[in-house]
Amino acid sequence: MKQLISLEVNGDRHEIAVEPDATLLEVLRDHLGLLGTKQGCDSGGCGCCTVHIGDRAVYSCMKYALSAQHQKITTIEGLGADGKLDAVQDAFVREGAVQCGYCTCGMIMTAKQLLHDDPHPDEDAIRHGIAGNLCRCTGYHKIVEAIRTAARD
Amino acid sequence: MALSRLKKFCIPENSHQVDDCVAEYGDNALILAGGTFIRGLEVRGLLSEVEALIDVHKLGMDGLVSGVGNVRIGAMVTFAALEQLAELHSAAWLAAVRDALACPPLQIRNMATVGGCLAASCPFYDLPTAFLALDGSVTVSGAGAQREIGLADLFVSLFENSLEPGELITELTLPRPPGRSASAFIKLEGTANDLAIVNVAVSISVDAAGVCEEARVVLGGGVGDRVVRSATAETVLKGQQLTHEVIEHAAAAVGQDIEPMADHRATAAYRLAMAGVFTKRALNQALSRLN
Amino acid sequence: MTNMNVVGKRVLRQDAFEKVVGGKGFPVNVRLPGMLHGKLLRSPYPHARIVRMDTARAEQMPGVKAVITPADVPQIPYNPIFFMPVTSAGLVRDMLILSDTVRFAGQPVAAIAAISAAIAEQALQMIEVDYEELPAVFDPDEATRDGAPEIHAGVKNNISDTPSFAIGDIEAGFREADHIFEGTYETPRVHTCYMEPRVCVADTDTNGHITIYSSIQHLFGLRERMAYALGLSVSQVKVVQPPYIGGGFGSKLDMVYAEPLAALLSARTRRPVRIKHTRYEDFITNARHPMKVYLKTGIRKDGTFCARYARTQCDTSAYASQGPVVIMVHAHYGLMLGYRSPHLKWEGKVVLTNNIPGGAFRGYGAPQACFAVESQIDEICEELGFDPIEFRLKNTPRRGDPHPFNPEWKLDTYALDECLARGAERIGWSQRARAGSSSSTKKRGIGMAAHPLWVSGCVGFPDIYEHSGAIIKLNVDGTANLSSATMDIGSGQNTVLCQIAAEELGLADGAVLMSPGSTDTLPFDAPTHASRGTYSSGNAVKVAAAAAKKRLLEVAAVIMEANADDLEVCNGVITVKGSPARSMSVADVVKRAESPYMVIGEQGPAPTVLEEKGTIMGLSSLAPSTNPSPAVAEFVEVEVDTETGQVKVLRAVYAHDLGRVINPAAAEGQVEGGLQQGIGFALMENMLFDPESGACLTSDFLDYKMPTAVEMPRHIESIFIESNEPSGPFGAKSLAEACLIVPAPAIANAIYNATGARIRSLPITPEKILKALGKL
Repeated sequence: MKQLISLEVNGDRHEIAVEPDATLLEVLRDHLGLLGTKQGCDSGGCGCCTVHIGDRAVYSCMKYALSAQHQKITTIEGLGADGKLDAVQDAFVREGAVQCGYCTCGMIMTAKQLLHDDPHPDEDAIRHGIAGNLCRCTGYHKIVEAIRTAARD
Repeated sequence: MALSRLKKFCIPENSHQVDDCVAEYGDNALILAGGTFIRGLEVRGLLSEVEALIDVHKLGMDGLVSGVGNVRIGAMVTFAALEQLAELHSAAWLAAVRDALACPPLQIRNMATVGGCLAASCPFYDLPTAFLALDGSVTVSGAGAQREIGLADLFVSLFENSLEPGELITELTLPRPPGRSASAFIKLEGTANDLAIVNVAVSISVDAAGVCEEARVVLGGGVGDRVVRSATAETVLKGQQLTHEVIEHAAAAVGQDIEPMADHRATAAYRLAMAGVFTKRALNQALSRLN
Repeated sequence: MTNMNVVGKRVLRQDAFEKVVGGKGFPVNVRLPGMLHGKLLRSPYPHARIVRMDTARAEQMPGVKAVITPADVPQIPYNPIFFMPVTSAGLVRDMLILSDTVRFAGQPVAAIAAISAAIAEQALQMIEVDYEELPAVFDPDEATRDGAPEIHAGVKNNISDTPSFAIGDIEAGFREADHIFEGTYETPRVHTCYMEPRVCVADTDTNGHITIYSSIQHLFGLRERMAYALGLSVSQVKVVQPPYIGGGFGSKLDMVYAEPLAALLSARTRRPVRIKHTRYEDFITNARHPMKVYLKTGIRKDGTFCARYARTQCDTSAYASQGPVVIMVHAHYGLMLGYRSPHLKWEGKVVLTNNIPGGAFRGYGAPQACFAVESQIDEICEELGFDPIEFRLKNTPRRGDPHPFNPEWKLDTYALDECLARGAERIGWSQRARAGSSSSTKKRGIGMAAHPLWVSGCVGFPDIYEHSGAIIKLNVDGTANLSSATMDIGSGQNTVLCQIAAEELGLADGAVLMSPGSTDTLPFDAPTHASRGTYSSGNAVKVAAAAAKKRLLEVAAVIMEANADDLEVCNGVITVKGSPARSMSVADVVKRAESPYMVIGEQGPAPTVLEEKGTIMGLSSLAPSTNPSPAVAEFVEVEVDTETGQVKVLRAVYAHDLGRVINPAAAEGQVEGGLQQGIGFALMENMLFDPESGACLTSDFLDYKMPTAVEMPRHIESIFIESNEPSGPFGAKSLAEACLIVPAPAIANAIYNATGARIRSLPITPEKILKALGKL
């Protein structure tokens, strides 16, 4: 039995009817067409689906849509302003941290919180900070570099 | 999604509404706290009977109090919120919690709650091992009544707790230990994003002469169907100066109190051996924090 | 090769700008109007015959639009692999889109299309299937014993193939030997773990023409297989090229059940049908072939090989699929031909079991071989006191030698010696301590491995496609569009190809843009595999660019009243050689070429020149003339905790002769990513199955562990040696796969150096180390 919910995503309010077991990930992708948030494993193991609730990074595949009401949700589409890339997005491009790119948006959302909590993380903090996000292409080397660059700039 | 029988998603605003939902769905109602455990169980087909989820995030239970005789942590306090407890970063007796909090990935720390991770009764988690080593107990409420349960009595077996239907964990209490105390937690994992293969938390208190007055040695991971205390190791430590030999002896003793399992992540023999190694390391770590 | 403007530069990837804001081009994002969602019912049994199937209840469920069973599916046996002609004599065609016989746990038996994925999923439970369970066998040793269950009718002892080859007289070779070493080396079943799931959308029109969008590494391979298995002609299948996919690493080199089933469901419903794998479905779709290699080596006193014998058992799993092909690449390019020996003999055995299908994975049989060969060389050097670097140089091919696989080719560019020397210097090889000499609990060690022979594509390989094509079209603003059916699966290949085109055309960085097409509009291209992108597709792109440039200069010559041979183009400007004042921009030349013949000027309409009219473009379709070998060596330092057996890789230095670096950032990315996969292969990755039911126990990232950022070394150094291969675009040859071939043996050898423990089976788990140290 569907329930009507109200979600605030990237500053926009949406009224949608969802099944009780719908995850935030499903709602973002399939109801709102926000395709930047990726499904990689559906079990909180890969980090591709990372979004922010408030300023906290969460796995949207583990978050029930009904539980996410009345909170500010930010997805990759909500970063940057005036058509310009956010500093972390920009650093990922410049440092060559993007290969296949499927993990990228989740990785950037995690990095955003990391830098919000600690504007100048050391390498260890960066590596532990992104341990909940898997990447199979880059070996994480240039991703760590990009986060450092974003912290510097 | 796999909760194919789910009919109702309740977000109660008071305990009566919880009771109503429990009354309607009974054993097929599941309390939802942080929600990080549900997906894993769901995918493995272990929640196929669930018909109602009761999301308790509107019930408060998110207090964080450094009291005179104890530290009290609301059940809905997330791991990330717990990291904000100032005392956690300075008090040696709480260090095991600090160690354990560093393990889960950022996203899990932001979602998972203290009450949820205890109610899950999952021995592969990190924080319950640390909480049991700190002699934690939970306050439980349900059907208008309230009771205290020591963590050793809360964990019944794998994924099974001693809560009655409709009962909720509302708060965790960690009593302040006497004298000079310190604790430590160490985990054996495959990667930095892994459930414990073995984990160990210890808490020790010593008198002015350095003699061990109190010791709690707790092991988790695949060393049993729940988090277990090693009484034998504790006996070895109590009343002794914590010398290298005593610590070695205590570490060797944990094997008598655990029944390691074999699975695709490790053999029982390896878990047994690592229980000893990690007990020794945790004790040495705690000892170093006493000074 | 000086004065290059674009090649060799850290050009930013065009696709990165799109990927950091969401990456809308991934196949997983394809949505078509009226689209239905398909789900597959999968067998719980590893070996069974379907006795009865009743789909009535599922069909009656509201929202269900079609149910397909084996009875609805063409029973045309096929082989799913993309890179060989589907009718090749070298392929075993033993798979069906849906069959009455199930040979691995998880094989699909029916498919449903519904208005939502959730309804399709629920409807699966409504299909009633009665199975007759058949005895199953998972262990290849058991599968080949007399009396083992028969998996495919008529395949005796489940042995699918027994290839072999020999050079010289192996027995005589061993009689010459002063020392003989032997050992058995085993590698596990590991998964590529691409991050984007396999997903496809098939849209069938009323004429029976299928348009398909899929996350794949080869457009034309999917077209050919789809047409064959569905009994269509190739022109009835159109595969649309995604601008990028979320990783592949080889796994997306074959057709999966989902693709033809989506097409059949679409044909039945006349609506587009999307099927997306769950992570569990991805895990059981294909994986690297587990191999057991017995290696026996005869050595002379001087440290040269006189006889090399090897035997390989390959678990190809429920279907022959890639097995008979992968074992040949494994044997030639992995095991036998990288080191010189007058006497060689190899015998292979490809075994069918009830395990999940084997598939391609970066390195294609070579990582299994390299682990055996490079581990044993380390054992030989330890035992006989040779320096591992000097020992290798005594036995590897040398620059100028004939190519061991095909003596008509020469190793004209081949700098293994330089890889070894420079890598050794950077890791501090001369400071390396004796094995196991450290007395502390945590012991450090340095190890290395080489891979002396590998490919740049597949020229010379029996029945493997190797030609590539490109279309380059110049625009009136001085830019160019490049189209090619090659797939950028994440490496940055498209950026590299654009750099090659820009360099050849004389355009600036960023002036060439990659434009996707489809199998209807693009020339054929072999898949993205075999480390071929830069070399083979790069060659095709360079030839197409040269053709476009030739036409560009012809037109410019007309306008500039010069001889085309006297013109040159650089950074978008055409000048007369030696007279820089006489110049014209590429944009202006293209504008003239594209303008109407009669142009209205101030004095009214006036004719221009007819010979300059027409779009300036270049086309190509060709295969390279040869197959140059790169040369590779990797050095690592590890730390082993001898109380727990845990291994940390502290540093890695990777040296590779790749001919020419087109884009240093992209090249480093290959090394760093290959190391992540290599560390996983070496230390932790292993797909495990229930020994009774065959069910996969490691079908999500909770149970299948691969390195996170924490397990990766802080220090990764890439050394690229530019030997300037004349047959390659601007001197380039290959890179990608070797980055994953060498890490595992380098790590195994470093663990030995640290602890004295020699582990001959991967992954080298903490338990194996403790057992070897006598602590468990």
